[in-house]
This record gives sequence, structure tokens and C-alpha cells, in this order.
Amino acid sequence: MRLRPIGHHDIDELQALAQETGVGFTSLPNSREFLAAKIDNAVAAFEGRVPEQERLYFFVLEDEQSGELAGCCAIEAEVGRETPFYHYRVGKLAHSSVQLDLHRTIDTLFLSSDHTGDAEVASLFLRPAYRRDRNGTLLSKARWLFMAEFRDCFPAKVLAEMRGVFSPDGVSPFWESLGSHFFPMEFKQADQLTGLGQKSFIGELMPKYPIYTPFLPQAARECIGQVHEHTRPALEMLKKEGLRWEGYIDIFDGGPTVEAYIDDVLAIRHSSCVTVEVSGDSLAQPERPGWMAATTGMSDFRCSWIGRGPGEDGVITLTIAEAERLGVTSGDALRVLEA
Amino acid sequence: MIDADVVSGAMAEGAARSVGHLLVRPAQSGDLAAIERLASGSTPKLTNLPAHRDRLEERIARSSRSLAHNVDFPGDELYTFVLEDRDLGEIVGTASIRAQAGAQDAYYTYRQETLIHASQQLNLRHEVQTLSLSHEMSEVSLLCALSLDSRYRGTSAATLLRRARLMFIAQYPERFAETLGVAFPGYLDEVGGSPFWDSVGRHFFEQGYHEINLLAGVRSKSFIAEVMPQFPLYLPLLTPQARAAIGREHPAHEQALQEMLAEGFVRSRHVDIFDAGPVVRGERQRLHTLTHCGWHPVRIRPAASLPDAEPAMVANQQLADFRCTVARYALTPTGQLMLSEEQAALLGVEEGRAVLVAPLALPNVEDALDEGEL
Repeated sequence: MRLRPIGHHDIDELQALAQETGVGFTSLPNSREFLAAKIDNAVAAFEGRVPEQERLYFFVLEDEQSGELAGCCAIEAEVGRETPFYHYRVGKLAHSSVQLDLHRTIDTLFLSSDHTGDAEVASLFLRPAYRRDRNGTLLSKARWLFMAEFRDCFPAKVLAEMRGVFSPDGVSPFWESLGSHFFPMEFKQADQLTGLGQKSFIGELMPKYPIYTPFLPQAARECIGQVHEHTRPALEMLKKEGLRWEGYIDIFDGGPTVEAYIDDVLAIRHSSCVTVEVSGDSLAQPERPGWMAATTGMSDFRCSWIGRGPGEDGVITLTIAEAERLGVTSGDALRVLEA
Repeated sequence: MIDADVVSGAMAEGAARSVGHLLVRPAQSGDLAAIERLASGSTPKLTNLPAHRDRLEERIARSSRSLAHNVDFPGDELYTFVLEDRDLGEIVGTASIRAQAGAQDAYYTYRQETLIHASQQLNLRHEVQTLSLSHEMSEVSLLCALSLDSRYRGTSAATLLRRARLMFIAQYPERFAETLGVAFPGYLDEVGGSPFWDSVGRHFFEQGYHEINLLAGVRSKSFIAEVMPQFPLYLPLLTPQARAAIGREHPAHEQALQEMLAEGFVRSRHVDIFDAGPVVRGERQRLHTLTHCGWHPVRIRPAASLPDAEPAMVANQQLADFRCTVARYALTPTGQLMLSEEQAALLGVEEGRAVLVAPLALPNVEDALDEGEL
């Protein structure tokens, strides 16, 4: 398995992926036209034909033997540059009075575009059949290696939006109590419009004044900053890298947005550059791989698990299969990470 | 509920009394005990008339000071009046005017507003109702703090007490704003709870509605308002019960509200911040009493020979010794108002002095409603 930039020829497979994602996964709507445009933009981004801040780096995880796509993930270089990017910030307002001997803080939701200009890791999806052999970790962490390698192409901070709480029949209590009063449409429709990048309606219809959370029913308040059960492992993985919830939530489903300074992300700090030495010997392969390796080119970026780490001399020994998977030969540079 | 006009309910319901020797005059220090009794008997309790002896004493003193001062434009004057039943020798009602609703501190109301959220992208137009804290009513003169012994409810005594203040304003226009306002107590449910407070204010206070109401009266309402949510409230986020209470008066005040609408007051977008009771407003030049009052010299006639005529409010023209009563609107062919010796004495006027007279009857409320503010 290896991760690489998406290519034009991936359109059919990408659409198959999009059909599997479902509600709440806004960035891969099942629209061939939209997906084709997304691929065009991504290819242009990897080839450096788009200004850095407008780039959307879209990766796929492929089974290089069958040619099938197992999953995808993306990095948006700077969010909110072309269309507005909204969150609610869960803030506190003190309501206090000396005369009344009263001091209370009220949780309040403030509409915010604070994250404008931050990078976003997004669109991570792994087909159920491939949820094994640490493929999920590879998909998630490969992005950190990419960002470490091309650090200059990214801003100071990175964020990830996590899917919020939904009932088994797909209803978001947060949406029902808040968004539905302002968006005369179903959650699904609002969600799809957002996925299609048509976000201007949010600014047009969204309440502009802060929302005092005591005015929301308990079921909705309990969704604030909470993730969908299925999203918990992804959240844990990001937390381990140092991303934290700083009080920003999705305006539709109340799911948390986690964030970090890019330079503080553990995978980025701990990755290192080594030199490849390809060995014809059959090297021992651990059952559970513990090292990831990524190449140093942008348009031909590759990332996969490898069987071992580098020696103290800064040389990484690869098998022929590993070298072919990554498209490197002896003497090439690699960025590696113990994970 | 706030600076509302109210009818006392705590006292035993008695037979409605005939309007005999009723007099509205400025409150004096000797009226304190009676006013305190009226304050504690009002239904519901009025924020602006707490049954608190020190506050009421201050109130009377402030009223006397206001009457003693030369005033060229409205400020923080407060005028408190009492309704006296001369036959019983009792004070049976009280009512006040605040020259400026927010003279000392801001007068807070919630203003009902409509925001239009339109999306060109989706070809959608969506109206959202909000309540915004407002100080817009701070400049109006406020008719407030009315409490009437329940025995007089529904009689012309209620009308006299309510509208004698307009007879006062008619004589001293420089002391009041062009716009007058009246805030009515808001809707309370069967157990005396305020659905609006339960959905809004409750989140911001540890005290309950009645406790806060009392505090607001004894201390000040504005410092409580400062703890209320400062950002506009979206109505869809309030409970249906709270939304239904917005602009709805307390059941005991339906008649009083109707009378003020007939007088020429109109419903405004403003409601009370605690219980969402309606605030009505009226331009002085459109109020029936102020447009239909006229000056007439007094002609004293024996009581038995006074002709029958429609009832009217009659007021003398003395500031600190203001008096207003109900008499027959019987004029001589030369336009003099015929009063009995007793009535003239009640008003403190002699033959030949001019008095201000306005009919007690009001036009149908439906006619007045045509001029609603929007």
C-alpha cells in the first residue's frame, strides 16, 4: 500500500469512494463533475501551477498490486481564502453584579472566521475492507510528512474538523435545535451544499449574533464539541500528535475542530531525513510495521510503511520491493518517522 | 412586569361604589401608610411600586420636590398622586408619572425586530424575529405605578385615577415629553410564574422572577438589566410559551390596556425585559384627553339645580395643589362650567376661576386601533 497524489485516471475509483462515504462527510459529494474539478485542482496544486495558499493537496491510498484505491485524504493549504470559513467559538460571558451578589458565566456561541488562513487536514476516508494493517495511520500521518517536507508551503497553524454527534437515523440534535431555525432545509442539503463548496449561503442565513447556549435544549448542548462515535479513533490519533480542541465547533453539527501550530505537531518534529540504500537481500519484515517513509518530491510524492528504521549513520536500508513502492533508488533522500 | 398601572386585588371585592366625592391630588407624607397598603395589595406586584416603606417615603418626598421646582424641560422628576374617597376619608388609589422613563438610569426594554436572512445563492428569503435590548423608550414620560383598591375596579374611579395624570400633563406640557408611555404587567400563568422569565431571565440569575422583581423595585431596574443578555435573542430559540407571552398583558390588566388604547395609545414594538408585558406609547397631540380638554370659568349653582350632563374630569390649575375630580359636563349658555359649592370646594376653586375639563367617555377602541404604530 502506498499513498500518492491523486491523478486524472483516478476519477472512477474516486467516485466509488464518494458513494461509500455518506452523510457528514461533506468534502466528497457524489458528483462526477465536482470530483473531476477537484482532481484538476489537486493535480495543478501538486505541479505547483496554483499559488501556494490556494492549493488543495488531495492524496489517495492505493493497493499498488491491484491498482484499487483504498482511501483518500487531503490537505488544504489555507482555508477561507476563496469562500468564507465559519465556526462557532464556544466562549464565556460573565454576567455579574455586585449588588445582586451574582457571578455567572454563560457559555455563548460566537460566529467566527478565526481560522481563515490556517491549513486543514481533511477528507480522510478508508474503505472498510482496508481498515487493517495500519492503513488508517498511514493515511493520517502521511500528511504530516508531506507538510514537514514542504513546510514553506504552509501557514503557522493546522486544523481538523471532526464529525459531530448524530443519532442512528442520521439526525443531528445540534442542527435540529439551532441550524434548522435559520436554514429552511434539511441537514443533508445544507451539508451537501457545504461539500460542494457553495458556502456563501451560510453567511447569508446564519444568525450573526451570539447564541447563549442555555437557550438550546440539553440534547443540543450535549453535542457541543463532541464527536461521532466512529470519529473517536481519528480524534485520538490527532490528539496524540498534539492537536487540541480550543473551543471551536462546526456550525451545523457542533463537532469539534482541533488545531495546533504546525511546528508543534509531533510527527513533524520527530521526522528525519535519511539516505536510501537498496539491498538485494531479503530483510526481516516485522508483522506490524513501525516506520513510515516519504519521498521528497511534490508531484511524485509517495509514502508507505517500511520494515525498519535508519541506522545511526542516517542510512535507511530498503528492500527492492520497498524501494519500488516508493520509487527511489540508492542515494535518494527519504523522510522517515517512527510511528 | 414593571412600571405598570395595576388594580389592587388583595382587598376584598366589594360592591362598586358610586362616584361621589373622589379626588386625585399629589401625594403627601401623611399618605405613606395608605400607599404602602396599596403597594402590597397590587396584583401582580409592581416593580415600580415596591411595598417598601423607605422607598415609598423617598418617592413621596421626590414628588413634592418635583412639584416645588421650576421645571423647563423633563428630567428626573417623579410625580406621585393619590385617589382620595372623601366620603370614606380614605386613600384608595395611587398613580405616578416619571417625567423621563430613563432619566437617572437607562430605561431598558426589549424591542421586537425582524431580520431578513436572504440567500441569493439559494434564492431563499427567511425572516427571523429577534428581541434586542433597547434604550429607545428612555426619553418618554411614563405613566406608572398605578394601584387601585379592588372595590373601585371597573368604576369611573379607575378611569379618573388613570387619566387625571393626563389632565396634569395637559396643564404643564413643558414638564413632560411629547411621547408618553405606559408599561403593562406581562402575562403570568395560573401559578403566578412568568413563562418569558422562565425561558430568558432565569438563565442569568440565581433568584426567581418574584425575587428579582422585588429587588428591581427596591434597588433599581437598570443594574439588573445589565446582567441580562446584551445580545439580541432569536425568538425561535425561546420556548413556545415564552414566545406566546411576548407583548401579552396580565389578565387583570386587559381592561386598563383597552382603555389606554381607546385614549389613543398604540402598541409599540417594546416589551418588558422581565415578563415581556406590552409597552404602549402615545403622542400627546393624539391622545383623546389632551385633544378634547378645554378651559371653562366656574359658575357655582345649588347642587339640586345642576342639570344632568355627560360625566367629565375637572381639574384646577394649581401645580402643587393640583386637584382633579369627576363632575357633570354642564355648561351655561356662555360656556361656564356649573359646579356645586361642594365640588368647587373639593377643587379649591372659587366662582370665576378657570378649570380644565375633559369628557370621561372615550371613543371606541376599534377606531383608535387603526392608528397602530409600525
